[in-house]
Amino acid sequence: MKTWIQKQTKKQLFIYFLIVASFIGSIIFVNHNHAFYERPIAKVTEAIETDRTETVDQHQNQDIIVNQQITAEVQNGTYKGESIHINNEYSGSHAYDHSFQPGDEVFVTIDDSSHTGTIEDVKRDKYLILVAWLFSIILLVIGKRQGLLSVISLAVNAAILSFALDIYLQNSDISLLIICGISIVLFTVISLLMVNGRNEKTYTAIIATLLGTLSSLLIAYLALFMTGEQGLRYEEMSFLSRNPQTVFMAGLLIGSLGAVMDVAITMSSSIFELYEKNNQIKLKTLKASGIDIGKDIMGTMTNILFFAYVSGSIPMLLLYFKNASPLGFTLSMNLSIELARALAGGIGIVLTIPIAIYTSIFFIQRKRARI
Amino acid sequence: MSVLVLLSIILFVLMAIVGGKKGVKSFIALFLNFGVLIITILVMNDPNANPIWLTLLACTFISAISLFYINDVNSKTTMAFFSTIITLVILFFFIIIITEQSMIQGFGAEESEELMTFSLHIGIDFVKVATSVIIMSTIGAIVDTAISITSPMREIHHHNPTITRKDLFMAGIRIGRDILGTSTNTLFFAFFGGYMGLLIWFKDLSYSFGEIINAKVFNDEMITILTAGMGVALVIPIASWMTSYYLVTMGTKKK
Repeated sequence: MKTWIQKQTKKQLFIYFLIVASFIGSIIFVNHNHAFYERPIAKVTEAIETDRTETVDQHQNQDIIVNQQITAEVQNGTYKGESIHINNEYSGSHAYDHSFQPGDEVFVTIDDSSHTGTIEDVKRDKYLILVAWLFSIILLVIGKRQGLLSVISLAVNAAILSFALDIYLQNSDISLLIICGISIVLFTVISLLMVNGRNEKTYTAIIATLLGTLSSLLIAYLALFMTGEQGLRYEEMSFLSRNPQTVFMAGLLIGSLGAVMDVAITMSSSIFELYEKNNQIKLKTLKASGIDIGKDIMGTMTNILFFAYVSGSIPMLLLYFKNASPLGFTLSMNLSIELARALAGGIGIVLTIPIAIYTSIFFIQRKRARI
Repeated sequence: MSVLVLLSIILFVLMAIVGGKKGVKSFIALFLNFGVLIITILVMNDPNANPIWLTLLACTFISAISLFYINDVNSKTTMAFFSTIITLVILFFFIIIITEQSMIQGFGAEESEELMTFSLHIGIDFVKVATSVIIMSTIGAIVDTAISITSPMREIHHHNPTITRKDLFMAGIRIGRDILGTSTNTLFFAFFGGYMGLLIWFKDLSYSFGEIINAKVFNDEMITILTAGMGVALVIPIASWMTSYYLVTMGTKKK
């Protein structure tokens, strides 16, 4: 530890100190931020199980239902410091309910006269910030400078996305697709410049990403148009306050962007690497190596998107099956949107491979012409 | 013709043109993986089955298909396979604790309307299901990162057979750092694309900041993204260590 400290520069030590201090500070803050919430928060001090019954539902699923008598201390607002009593019922499967132990913090509504309460939600901010910190620290420890840049670029992208959605909501006459299109250009340029610096490799990747995303969007549009959107169940999209088709297309565009960007930078940096190792390399050789690299990555890249999209449907699929829904109906009701996104993203990934090869070659030829 | 069939045909044709035989194999692997996923979910319906063990088993099959079927069995795919499994086991412990504490399992209040007609007392532990979902969401990215590290490491060892274990390990870490940013980005955009509707919903219904950061659906999504990112980062030292150990230490023993 001592030699480790001696090896670090003052600036590095200062950054480590800053990170540790803000980590501890923010953890202390979220554990004591009750005054900032308008909704009453209560901390469970005692939870006694009062009743436990076995149930069988209409589809012969066995479960248990447990009743808890909870005593909790109010942490903020007019009743601060007082104890309230709460009845809580939960099932063994916990699909929509929770069991509570002393120490858990919950948002409640309080009945003025009887000093009883109802649990509305769980206070989750302290866990969220803990996971966010763990993520950032792991990325910093393993990735060092690049790790820091990735954390920053994720934060910047999240801010751009939030800002873009604000603009969309305030000006509903502007199409969501146009706003997403502009955000995509921003995401691409900022992420790639930040991680890879200003050079021809990055410019190649930016152009290839934009062309790749655009062509996958066009193909998806064409496919939707030609089939009359048959087989797409928009009703499976939860959380919809807007036209489902627009939200679907915008999500498709943003969702495939990350993978397309990944492919574009992998392709362009390896092709430029080959060129820099050997300036005389034949374009034909570059093309062939490019295709080889592309073959290696297309399988695992499409897999990333596929699993990221489809696994989110597992709880809903289980619920359908357990409620005796037939296999085909359940799959088409719950997976059509995710599968369409994964397939369209896969198309974007594969198309970006030749696009990135030809863009790299274009830049390399220009470089050669200058010499 | 359904959209999905048409999109599948387009993807297949493109993969075959660009990737040749390997492209066709990649496409078939995608379908095999889909099959593994569906079978896993069907088995999860049995209340006696433990979703966590099932997920670990499914992930073993999925990594084997993505690595061995597309790239054949060799030292790079074997090392990538084992580092994927070790990373998953480490992640499991963390995810189980965090899902239990933050209670992000199951469905949120926003989804209750849609669930009205369903019986929710179905005898499956949704805390375990939530753990499975997070692991499944990140398995693709972990496998991808693992193979992207072990494959160039083998090249480096091949070209410099005298390289020390430490140097080879550091080379693996450096490669990993370069892909860390793009891989986390891939996951980030994939999730945000999928949750566009949720974000617009929050803004349309003018949720307050405090309501958003405590909502179950939002936490579920964020914790999935962040844990997936951790998985991608963790597999880097694990894959680098395993490959350098195998290539250098085991290599000298053989001689």
